[in-house]
Amino acid sequence: MFQFISVPELTKTLIASFVGLLTLIGIMARPFRWNEAAIAMAGAGLLLLLGLISPLDAFSTLCRDWNTFLFFLGMMGLSALAEAAGLFDWLAVQAARFARNSARLLFFNVFLLGSLISMILSNDATALILTPVVYVLVTKLRLPVLPFLFACTFIADTASFLLPVSNPINIIMLSHFPMDLFTFLRLLLLPSLVVIGINIGIFFLLYRRELRGQFKLERLPPADETIKHRAYFRYTCLVLIGVAAAYVLASAARFPLSLIAVGGAGLLLIGALGWKQSTLRETGKRISWSIFGFIAGMSIVVRSIEDTGLTARFGDWLLRLSGGNSFGSVMIGTAGAALGTNLINNIPMAVVMTSALGSMQHAPPAVQHGFLAATMFGCDLGPNLTTVGSLATVLWLLILRRQGIDVSGLDYFKVGVIVTPIMLLAGALTIWLLL
Amino acid sequence: MRVLCCLDGTNVEPISRATALFSPAELTVGLIHVIDKGPHHDIEHTRERFFRSPVPPASREHQMLEVEQASAKEIIAEGLRYLSGAETLQREGRPEREIVNAAAEWEADLVIICPRAEYRDEHKIGPKSVGHVARFVLDHAPCPVFLVRPINRDQFPIKR
Repeated sequence: MFQFISVPELTKTLIASFVGLLTLIGIMARPFRWNEAAIAMAGAGLLLLLGLISPLDAFSTLCRDWNTFLFFLGMMGLSALAEAAGLFDWLAVQAARFARNSARLLFFNVFLLGSLISMILSNDATALILTPVVYVLVTKLRLPVLPFLFACTFIADTASFLLPVSNPINIIMLSHFPMDLFTFLRLLLLPSLVVIGINIGIFFLLYRRELRGQFKLERLPPADETIKHRAYFRYTCLVLIGVAAAYVLASAARFPLSLIAVGGAGLLLIGALGWKQSTLRETGKRISWSIFGFIAGMSIVVRSIEDTGLTARFGDWLLRLSGGNSFGSVMIGTAGAALGTNLINNIPMAVVMTSALGSMQHAPPAVQHGFLAATMFGCDLGPNLTTVGSLATVLWLLILRRQGIDVSGLDYFKVGVIVTPIMLLAGALTIWLLL
Repeated sequence: MRVLCCLDGTNVEPISRATALFSPAELTVGLIHVIDKGPHHDIEHTRERFFRSPVPPASREHQMLEVEQASAKEIIAEGLRYLSGAETLQREGRPEREIVNAAAEWEADLVIICPRAEYRDEHKIGPKSVGHVARFVLDHAPCPVFLVRPINRDQFPIKR
């Protein structure tokens, strides 16, 4: 619209900022439980309609993010097809077998399994697939359910920066600021291990009473019964081992990780179709298509705000706040990302931070690396504070409770408030020491 | 006398011993086990955070429901082995609320409950020895509540 009418630049800036802000508030508050993707796409659509971003710019923004889109597709495909093979159920039964009838040891094994799955298949797979699998397992074993569910949900995020592929947020950030595997591991591997250790330690302390018992392994079916088709299961294991190795090699060679994920998912799909273990329709139903609309909408909205120079100012402000030193960059980066991720969810926060960090190219390398590592760390781990989604969801749950409706999401929040600040502080300090 | 016994999968023995304190001629026993739906809601919240529909895929949802039902049936069957002839009540929802509502509906004269699910024969006395379900039932039951605590003489004397 503004392409046909002459409007001062300041007015355009104000309107673009207003639409961007409205979109972020919409995502944060989710009025009438609207879908976030619809809100993000409505914001992007309005900006396009008003001519505050040209269709060409919007298209080039989406093309620039091809690696992110493809990675999400490959990651969700890999998890869905591995689930179809019965891999997660089989791994859970193995975790119980190795626990030698001890609830404590099983709890520990669930943490290890969650870490392994997050590391290779991303936090998404641990939170969405492993959690119900573990629920079924502990219900059969007549063990207390809640500690095990919390373990799965928390470790999904806590172990999500062991590798670049462990969380799609890392891919969003690294697509804009490439970092070689050695630097990634140098900055984030040790902090990962530190926070995983803290998570396990605090959970053992919190649930020591519930975990004192023994269980009877006979309550579980033999591990082989969880395998739906032996040949497809073996094939899935082989493909996933290959994908894990390829991820490491591709990260080291800076080859796009999305191509590995999509390639691996393609191989699994061929196997699943060949052995009739899944169909295209079934696999498609397990993929969250709305996430693509959400990322596309958010990218366009943030791009138009970027054009107004607001995100660059936000980046400058963060830099000033950090004092321009490595300690400040890690602390401000972590706190800002963790807070933002709880306000507006971690994907939009990562997109906003990516744009803001773009203005820090004149800062010393240690400060740049500090901000980048801290942002990934904060956006990955931050959601553990309000595991139910965001602060808005927590407020909504609190309102429900006041109205006398009992809600379980608050139990997560209580645990998150205890564990997450400690993990954020310890992890941030470790990153700073490694800079 | 109508006595409602709350089974959690770990307490059938102490509950059955407690019922033996009453004269069998006057006793009508009810066994209740509640499938806790809290974890389902937790899983739904997590799915929403990851931009998925709240309900897990049909096959997984079916598996979860099947296991819950099987486990509940097993717990009730175990109760019937100790207290044969008892009436059975199976509920779903928040255990504490379902128990007090069932006690009212079933017109229980007494509710028998253990302080909390115990997964090991090691009972500690102290401020947290009564779990949130038993505490809620004590606070909200429509009839007297018999709280079956384990014997703990070895932890005495406590500090005066």
